Amino acid sequence: MTVFALLASVLLAAGPTVTLDPQSASVTTGQVVSFESVITNPGPGPTQKLVAHLNVAALDGHYVDLEDWSGDVTKVVEPMPAGKQTTIEWEVQAVNSGEFALYVSLIPTGGRGTVIAGQPMYVTVAARHKLNSGGVLPVALAVPGFWAAVTAVAALRYRRTR
Amino acid sequence: MSRWPVVAGQETRDLWVGRGPALMFGYAVLLSAITYLAATNRGLNFLEQREAVNLVLQVAMTVGVLVTLLVSADTISGERERGTLESLLLTPVGRRSIAIGKLLGALSLWLGCVVVSLPYLWVIGRSVAAVRPAVLIVLLAGTLVTVAVAGLGLVISGLSSSNRVSLAVSLLVLLVLFAPTQLPGMAKSWVGDLLIRVNPLGSTMEFASRVILSRHDWRNELDYLVAPAVLAVIVAVVIVVTGNRLVRLG
Repeated sequence: MTVFALLASVLLAAGPTVTLDPQSASVTTGQVVSFESVITNPGPGPTQKLVAHLNVAALDGHYVDLEDWSGDVTKVVEPMPAGKQTTIEWEVQAVNSGEFALYVSLIPTGGRGTVIAGQPMYVTVAARHKLNSGGVLPVALAVPGFWAAVTAVAALRYRRTR
Repeated sequence: MSRWPVVAGQETRDLWVGRGPALMFGYAVLLSAITYLAATNRGLNFLEQREAVNLVLQVAMTVGVLVTLLVSADTISGERERGTLESLLLTPVGRRSIAIGKLLGALSLWLGCVVVSLPYLWVIGRSVAAVRPAVLIVLLAGTLVTVAVAGLGLVISGLSSSNRVSLAVSLLVLLVLFAPTQLPGMAKSWVGDLLIRVNPLGSTMEFASRVILSRHDWRNELDYLVAPAVLAVIVAVVIVVTGNRLVRLG
C-alpha cells in the first residue's frame, strides 16, 4: 500500500471526536454537575447529522436510572464542516452516591456509521443526608408531638373520671 | 323537635375524649413520614415539586376518609354489640336523629384530619404556591367524598349483623373504590375516564391531580366532583328516610 493510500484510508476513517470538560468532578448527593462536551470533526469532509446521547454508568456495576440524573440527555448535532467543532452543555444532578463515569456517545442518524464514545468524565459522589430537607422536619416532629400530648392528657382525664 | 344536635354533640365529645386524639396522633405520624419522604425525594429530584404536594394531599385525604369510615362503620353496630344502644333508644331521641347525630359525630374526625393536614400542606406546598389550591381541595373535594363514604359506612353499620361484618364490608367497599385509582393511565381512554368519573374516590383524586399537577383552574374541573356529590346526596336521603330501620337492636 502506498503512503498516499494509507494516509487516505486513515483520514477517511476519521470520524468526529468528543471530549468532556472537565474530565473529573467530586460532589455530594443532590448537587448539580455542569460540564460540556466538545465535538470535533477532524475529517476531510462534513459529518452527517448526529445525535449526542449522555450516559451515566456506575463503576461498581449497579444500575443507574438515567432519568433520575437528568431529563435532558439527548441533543442533535447538525452536520459540521471539516475541521469545525461544536460545544454542548450538559447538566446532571447526582442523585446516587458512589463512583460514576459520564460519557457522551455520538450516534449517526444516516443509517450508516458506528457509534462513537468519548473519554468519560469520572465523578465521585459522596453521600450526604440532609436531615431537614425542605424545612419539613420541625412540622414532622411538632404535629405528632402535639397530638401525643393531647392523647396523654385525654387518657389521664378519662382515668380520673372513671 | 329534632334532637340530632344533642346526639352529634355527645358523639363528638365521646369521640374526642376517647379514641379521637389517638387516631389523630397516628394520622399525624403517617403524614409526617410521607411528607418527610416526599420532601427528601424532592430534594433529590426523584419527585417534582408539585408531585410531592399531590402525594401528600392524596395520602391526607385517603387516610382521612379511611379513619372517618372506620368510626362511622362502628357507630351503630358497635353500640349494638357493646349493649349501649338499648339505653340510647330509651331516650326521647328519634332513631333518625340518632343516625344523623352519629354521622355528624364521625365527621368531626374528618374536621380533625383537615386541621392536622394543614401544616403539612403548607410546608410542602409553599415553594410552588400550591398551598391554597391544596387546602381548597381538602375542604371541598375531601369533605364531599368523606361525607359520602362515612354515610355509606353508617348505613352498612346499621344493616350489619355484627360489628366485625360492618368493618369488613366498609373496608372492602373502600378498597374497591381505591384500587382503580392505582392503575396507571386510566384517564387516557374513554372507558378509563368513565370509570374514574363514576368512582367517588377516583374522581376526587383525579380532581386533585388536575388542579395541583396540571394546574387547571378548579372551577373548570368541578364535573369530577359529581360522583362524590351524588353519592353523598343518595346516602343522606337513605339515612333520613330509613333512619328508623338502621338504628335497631337486632
